[in-house]
Amino acid sequence: MKMKKIIAVLMAVLMIAACFAGCGKTSNNDNATVTDMQYVKDKGVLVVGITDFKPMDYQDADGNWIGFDADLAKEFAKYIGVDIKFVEIDWDNKVMELDGKTIDCVWNGMTLRDEVKNSMACSVPYCTNAQVIVVPADKAEQYKTPEACKDLQFAVEAGSAGKDEAEANGFKYTEVKDQATALQEVASGTCDAAIIDLLMAGAMIGEGTGYKNLTYTVSLNSESYGVGFRKGSDLVEQFNTFFAEKVANGDVQKIAETYGVQEALVK
Amino acid sequence: MLSFSEQLPIVFNSLNVGFLQTLKLFLVTLAGSIPLGLIISFGSMSRFKPISAFSKTLVWVVRGTPLMIQLLIVYYFPGLVLHNPIWGGDESGRFFAAAVAFILNYACYFSEIYRGGIQGVPLGQQEAGQVLGLSKTQIFFKITLLQMIKRIVPPMSNEIITLVKDTSLARIIALQEIIWAGQSFMKGSQGISGQIWPLFFTGVYYLVFSGILTVLFNKVEKKLDYFKT
Repeated sequence: MKMKKIIAVLMAVLMIAACFAGCGKTSNNDNATVTDMQYVKDKGVLVVGITDFKPMDYQDADGNWIGFDADLAKEFAKYIGVDIKFVEIDWDNKVMELDGKTIDCVWNGMTLRDEVKNSMACSVPYCTNAQVIVVPADKAEQYKTPEACKDLQFAVEAGSAGKDEAEANGFKYTEVKDQATALQEVASGTCDAAIIDLLMAGAMIGEGTGYKNLTYTVSLNSESYGVGFRKGSDLVEQFNTFFAEKVANGDVQKIAETYGVQEALVK
Repeated sequence: MLSFSEQLPIVFNSLNVGFLQTLKLFLVTLAGSIPLGLIISFGSMSRFKPISAFSKTLVWVVRGTPLMIQLLIVYYFPGLVLHNPIWGGDESGRFFAAAVAFILNYACYFSEIYRGGIQGVPLGQQEAGQVLGLSKTQIFFKITLLQMIKRIVPPMSNEIITLVKDTSLARIIALQEIIWAGQSFMKGSQGISGQIWPLFFTGVYYLVFSGILTVLFNKVEKKLDYFKT
């Protein structure tokens, strides 16, 4: 009986301790008057949420993050006077990551769609992009217009701009996890076609890539890329001024040429 | 485009790094949940109502919700609701959050296995201890606990092998374990893109690892054979 009582008391203490540990930490510096800019400056580091997405963000042989977005992000961190850290995130959870302050911005060739604009503070567009239809190269001749593709079974990334296009054109489609999976569906023949970003298609399919038997034909609605910050963040204005300056002095053009995306820059 | 023989070392390297993370999560989860499970099982068996009610509710909530949701809640809740991102955005923060969610989840499953094991030891064993003049504590550690361990080895090995594979759920909060590493080559990473075989190949790692565990558990079972029950 003694044993049980001791355990009972121990457990009670543990639980109370756990409760305090849980709530105790919440009280510090949750101050609404601190702007997002100030918050990042106090931390001394800008945490950038990315995915591995060539040519925007990818790792070089030494494991450093490079790419058009990554290099520009480094410049931006320098501009506001903080260090930079890249963190790979699950793209589906980007808004949660931002609002939960585990990252400070998403900078990864993000298409500025209504859903993104409603849940984040978005920058001015810095790149233009289109959605393209990807089909096996040997069937490309038959599918030169959206009308010709009406009977195909499409694979699109869940919640992507490609999915919106499939819906708008009345295509039959299956939602898959990401654009790479969509390509995989076409390559393995489980779907007839996929709709993905032009930039991605340029880098991932055709001669000299993992998908040499695929090609893209129809180009659907064009769109633009932007950087996403926490809703209400004042970092957006900082970025917009920074970007205008860097376009004016030619730095953006230079970085874009390094990664072969100069055609896509917003003029 | 790299040839297959050029891809191999890159892919292996990346999968090994991912598997190390898987292994770390596995070991940390076991180290935390095995003792915590015992505490929770005592809680469930307690005659003190508030404690047993608390433990039983905890077990109900944790077993009744998907681990994936628990991971999301543990990782995002502090920042989203309490406005204090205690975990931080980097890899170690994600690992800690994943470890906390896994430990809590597995402790609840383990606690029920322990409870079954403890309550399955015949009452006569405890009575025999009392006759021999042992105290309650002595009876638990010298009689009940050892017989309970023998009883719980098969269900525990079942849970533990499930844990090996459940660690892959941690990639929902972007913990870069082996499945994440394998998938990265589909999209493109380190000069390799559009490759599916690394993802399927991760299965071999799981298979080998659970094979090793199975052999280990068989050995443990043999060791405990001297208990005639």
